[in-house]
Amino acid sequence: MYTLDFALQILANGIVIGSVYVLVALGLTLIFGILGIVNFAHGEFYMLGAYFGITAAAIYGLSLFPLLLVGILGVVLVGLLSERLVFRPLAGGDMTSSIITSFGLAVALQNAALIAFGPQPKLLRTPWAQIPVEIGPVFMPLQRALIPVIALVLVVAVHVVLRHTWTGRSLRAMAQHGTLAQLYGVDVKRVAVVTFAVGAALAGGAGVLMSSVFLVQPTVGNMIALKAFTVVILGGMGNVYGAVSAGLFLGIAETFVAGYLTNTLRDIVGFALVVVVLLIRPQGLFGRAIDRA
Amino acid sequence: MLALVDVVGGYGRTRILNGISFAVPAGKVVAILGGNGTGKSTALKAIAGLVAVDGGSITFDGRRIEAVPPHRRIGRGLCLVPQGKEVFAAMSVEENLLMGAFHRSGDRAGIRADLQGCWDRFPRLAQRRTAAAGSLSGGERQMLAIGRALMSRPRLLMLDEPSAALAPKVIGEIVEAVRGLAAAGMTILLVEQNVSVALELASYLYIVRDGRIAHERPVGPDVDLEDLRAFYLGAGPS
Repeated sequence: MYTLDFALQILANGIVIGSVYVLVALGLTLIFGILGIVNFAHGEFYMLGAYFGITAAAIYGLSLFPLLLVGILGVVLVGLLSERLVFRPLAGGDMTSSIITSFGLAVALQNAALIAFGPQPKLLRTPWAQIPVEIGPVFMPLQRALIPVIALVLVVAVHVVLRHTWTGRSLRAMAQHGTLAQLYGVDVKRVAVVTFAVGAALAGGAGVLMSSVFLVQPTVGNMIALKAFTVVILGGMGNVYGAVSAGLFLGIAETFVAGYLTNTLRDIVGFALVVVVLLIRPQGLFGRAIDRA
Repeated sequence: MLALVDVVGGYGRTRILNGISFAVPAGKVVAILGGNGTGKSTALKAIAGLVAVDGGSITFDGRRIEAVPPHRRIGRGLCLVPQGKEVFAAMSVEENLLMGAFHRSGDRAGIRADLQGCWDRFPRLAQRRTAAAGSLSGGERQMLAIGRALMSRPRLLMLDEPSAALAPKVIGEIVEAVRGLAAAGMTILLVEQNVSVALELASYLYIVRDGRIAHERPVGPDVDLEDLRAFYLGAGPS
């Protein structure tokens, strides 16, 4: 068991899970950093993405990439509706009201999923789940091996948009100094729409990708949201690159604990880390809080 | 070019502007003087759309603008440089300047030309082009804030206490820069606590007290500094 091959396999599994954490946490940290909204319904965006993917696969028998598109577009719609109907009316108010409201939204979406998709756990099966991929000693199904690759593409896309487009510049400007951004022509409402669309897309995509690894139930968003919050706190609230590093780190740390100690300790890793980080480095492990987006 | 008539406004229920009226003619530098909390910054924010106007009118280029959302006003040519040398701290100097041109992001050639103009006007910014704006000195940040405003091609430039919290030598540089803009025909509305800076730059003065204009006069050789200070401190006749 304590061979290099085993360690490499664990590392690979950790990267797979970590890249899903990255996708979910990235949206969460963007929504917090740019809009100042702590969205506890973010895990439900993930959950709905998974269900949209599974449903589309069951009805149309699509392969992974079209499914990904269905999941992302469906969740973007949900994200935009949430922004318009739930969060926009609270904009400019106390942060606590949006926090409490996001809890309500989470409960509502969970119950909607329960009615629509039922309580039985489901798993996404595409033909690619049967194709094995071997890289040296590491083995996994193609569908799983593609998760980090797709996550990387999505993260790079977000990076390029944030760094090299006017829209991205306006998002970063809003994160750094909202009033100044407004004075220079940035429309707060448009920024909120774009941020929710991007955040929901990332979570929905993560849901589709991960639904072939973890069973999907209406409450699956709870744990993933907690994990994403862990990542956001480790990476520094609102810090995009911190979220990427911390997400991978958490995924890898969890699989090593599960692989070498016991699987029951898996979920405690992140929370123990959060407690330690909050005690020692409350601004997060990576960089300063000001380096938002 | 800009006219405020009996403007009433403030934050929530706190009324700060109590019927303030003043005008800025095209091509002139007009200064508003007054002590802390008299409403001079609030007046600029009302013009920029950051403060709600509950009464009176603000007219720019012959059109009422009270209902125009703040992010649309820069496109009309109204640009405010807020007090406090505010910058996008984690962005580079160059990106801060680009944000000034956000509302005309399609005009690539124009933006490139204006950027070059900015480097020529403020060589110190050119040297620090890729540095994070948050790492600049106070004077550099104020230059950056003014440069960013110029990138918007303003027709009315509003400067809120550009000399505050700066060393005298740096104040001299900022005054020179603003004088250069004025000489080139820029219309400027300046809010200051520093009377000598206002007198150096402006051709017309308003003194604000309790959210309205208490005194106004052209700046000429006969301006009595002591007399102005008396108004400024609230001791003069109102």
